[in-house]
Amino acid sequence: MIELRYKNRETGFHELNVFAKLVWLVSIFVLALVFSHPLYLLLLFWAILPSVAVAKVWREWLTSMRFAAYLALAIVVINVLVSHHGSHILYQAPINLPVVGTPVITLEAIAFGFGMALRLLVLISAFSIINLTVHPDDMMLAMTKINLPYKSVMVTSLSSRFIPTLMEDIERIRDVQRARGLELDKGALAQRVKHYSAVIIPLLSNSLDRAVQVAEAMESRAFGTGIRRTFYKEMKISQLDILTIVSGFLLLMLGILMRYYGYGGYRYYPTLEAINPDGLELALLALLVLLISGLALWALVKKGLEID
Amino acid sequence: MIKLSNFTFYYNGAEKPALQDVSLEIQDGEFVLITGPSGGGKSTLCRCLNGLIPHFFGGKLRGQVTVQGLDITNHAPKELATRVGMVFQDPENQLVAKEVEREIAFGLENLGFSRSLMAKRIEESLEALGIAHLRRRTVSELSGGEKQKVVIASVLALHPEVLVLDEPTSELDPRSAEEVLSVLERLNGELGLTIILVEHRLDRIVQYADRLIVIDQGRVMADGGVRNVLNTHFTELTEIGIGIPSIVKLAHELKKKGFAMDSIPLTVKEARRFLGEAPHKIGIKRIEGKESECGGNPVIQTRKLWHVYHEGPAALRDVDLKINEGEFVAVIGRNGSGKTTLVKHFNGLLKPTSGTVTVYGVDTTSVTVAELAHRVGFVFQNPNDHLFSDTVAEEIAFTLKIRREDRAIINTKLDAVMERFNLKKYQKEYPRFLSGGEKQRIAMASVLVAEPDILVLDEPTRGMDYNLKSELMDYLREYVRMGKTVILVTHDVETVAEYADRVILLSEGQIVVDGDKHEVLSGALMFSPQINRLAQTWVGSGAPSDILTVSELLKILE
Repeated sequence: MIELRYKNRETGFHELNVFAKLVWLVSIFVLALVFSHPLYLLLLFWAILPSVAVAKVWREWLTSMRFAAYLALAIVVINVLVSHHGSHILYQAPINLPVVGTPVITLEAIAFGFGMALRLLVLISAFSIINLTVHPDDMMLAMTKINLPYKSVMVTSLSSRFIPTLMEDIERIRDVQRARGLELDKGALAQRVKHYSAVIIPLLSNSLDRAVQVAEAMESRAFGTGIRRTFYKEMKISQLDILTIVSGFLLLMLGILMRYYGYGGYRYYPTLEAINPDGLELALLALLVLLISGLALWALVKKGLEID
Repeated sequence: MIKLSNFTFYYNGAEKPALQDVSLEIQDGEFVLITGPSGGGKSTLCRCLNGLIPHFFGGKLRGQVTVQGLDITNHAPKELATRVGMVFQDPENQLVAKEVEREIAFGLENLGFSRSLMAKRIEESLEALGIAHLRRRTVSELSGGEKQKVVIASVLALHPEVLVLDEPTSELDPRSAEEVLSVLERLNGELGLTIILVEHRLDRIVQYADRLIVIDQGRVMADGGVRNVLNTHFTELTEIGIGIPSIVKLAHELKKKGFAMDSIPLTVKEARRFLGEAPHKIGIKRIEGKESECGGNPVIQTRKLWHVYHEGPAALRDVDLKINEGEFVAVIGRNGSGKTTLVKHFNGLLKPTSGTVTVYGVDTTSVTVAELAHRVGFVFQNPNDHLFSDTVAEEIAFTLKIRREDRAIINTKLDAVMERFNLKKYQKEYPRFLSGGEKQRIAMASVLVAEPDILVLDEPTRGMDYNLKSELMDYLREYVRMGKTVILVTHDVETVAEYADRVILLSEGQIVVDGDKHEVLSGALMFSPQINRLAQTWVGSGAPSDILTVSELLKILE
């Protein structure tokens, strides 16, 4: 099965402060959305890779990237088929369809599709690294620290806690019904829906029973006393963590400022724009890459400091 | 002290009380064992002790329950958490955090403890359960026994005076169960914690408990010292279907034959002492010639079977096995020894990584699970995983409908099977609303309605009370007599000794021993039934060493 859950590999990256990682993630999200220049997006993508290496999550990261690649491909194909703008026509269909007119494939549409796909890859890549390296309990703690109501955070955390259990349930119930002779993927649609109810109904009813039992157990352990809750794990913020957080914000600001002064935009239609960055732009880009890959660097420093 | 006075409780909408006129007093430091048939009110009683009843499960109540002087009607479970700790059946449904330490901290955090006090409590609890090495582990990666210990530790961290456990070992294999039970014994002995334990399997726990309370149909049927209750109420307990340890049964039978003993033995060790004279006084008869082995045609055959789960270590290694028509085979072995992996090959749910499995001469890789299902029926542990239809009749008929059988044939078969399993009167009811035993019967019926030639059962008796278990096992014997083949995966050695013919012992994915139950189960350290362990000591007096059950032993003593 695909392992997309947190596993403590005990690398410096895993031990980085949750907020530092979240600020980094948010910055990359914002940058990936404000920049449309393919070169920028490509650099964002590359600058994330050192973090994957330091966190030693290549395998899991690749699994989610494989999934992302399918999505990306779909974006390219759909854009090419739907968007008929652009001046470089590569192919023109010899027919005239109602509503859509004559199907045309343009170079610009292909390029635009690739640009969007790249943006998606950056988002998924950054997200999956954080997902794979932040302990869910830490995430919960961080959420309560920024004053989200504890009960809502607890419910969210509980549901993620029960995902593996749910997966096992599905597997088991499928086996049970298959052993009765049920062929889940055969027959007409109506038939299949009926067949899948043999898996889904037991699954839902079992989950309801489970929910009551969990509630019972939580109540028995003084959940919801109304006393102000304390937290066993404190979130220690070292000076290095503060530095990491600050550099995350710097990244965000730098990106926004660059965009404000006109860098990082790109015009796909009607004709692809030329790519010729000036000296200042190159220097700023280098700084951007440094700040993004900086997280991996901080992780190394953190581990280094601890060993000393 | 816990005190129930004339306590009666009705769940909302129920016509019959779940508990009726119960009066009990439990002193501090006692180790109380509560047993009784399923649905008799044991769990209800547990839930009164920390106020889950009436605060979580509403209903109508009369009489009074006080815990350390506090009336449960005025104190909710969260207030009683520091006095009464509750541990439930399935550890999976009690764990809320992802890391062991944080799990134990959960209750303490809810009560607003300071960080330093929490650290101290967590340390103590880890130490008391002997699980300090698990502290940083991810909860979902622990074994069932480890999980249950984490649950107990997390409850213990609140420093309750009473620990109430509702069948805490029914989801565990015998080894983990024993570990959990010995932890309880230590907590009671060394820390003086009051323990109230609900259990079906008395054989592994009677020696620890001071007191035995039997609850049936909402009433206290017997209450007193363990030895005393088992001695004086033997007949009634057998009637309502309490799983009396076979040593106690043996002692009782011997007493009936006029053998005098100082007191009823509870364990094999005591039996050696109390009954040590039995073979001399009564005289051992040798019985010759055992029942002949049934040697039908092979129906399942594996050759050099290997199975490896996604790059993990091999779960089955080079298994060569032949199962014949009409055999009753038990597959035993520790957790993770490959029992379930092996039997899932018999109906094609798993395919060999290498080697072959043939069922009635057909290679399982060449047919689908659905095709194999015509000949191989498979019953899983939890009936809740089976049930999804609106009525009992539909549920059972579904197995035939997906085979596109003729309407008339379906109706005849359905009728016959519902008759056999006593389900006629429920045929229009919603299956999931019925009791555990009824659900089990429906699940069985839904598989057996197709009249499979081979029936595979994966730990069907786990968590079942004695009545239900003997009902099921009697049925399986009947099925074997009809010429069918039964393959049973189980941990329950006593049941195997009583009912099976042939035993296959697996370890680390390999068959260690395979043969007649008398050969496999006698003199095997971990896997011998109680009676065999006792009989071993009488070998010197001429007793055969392969005695497994009370009736076998009585036969040679007569």
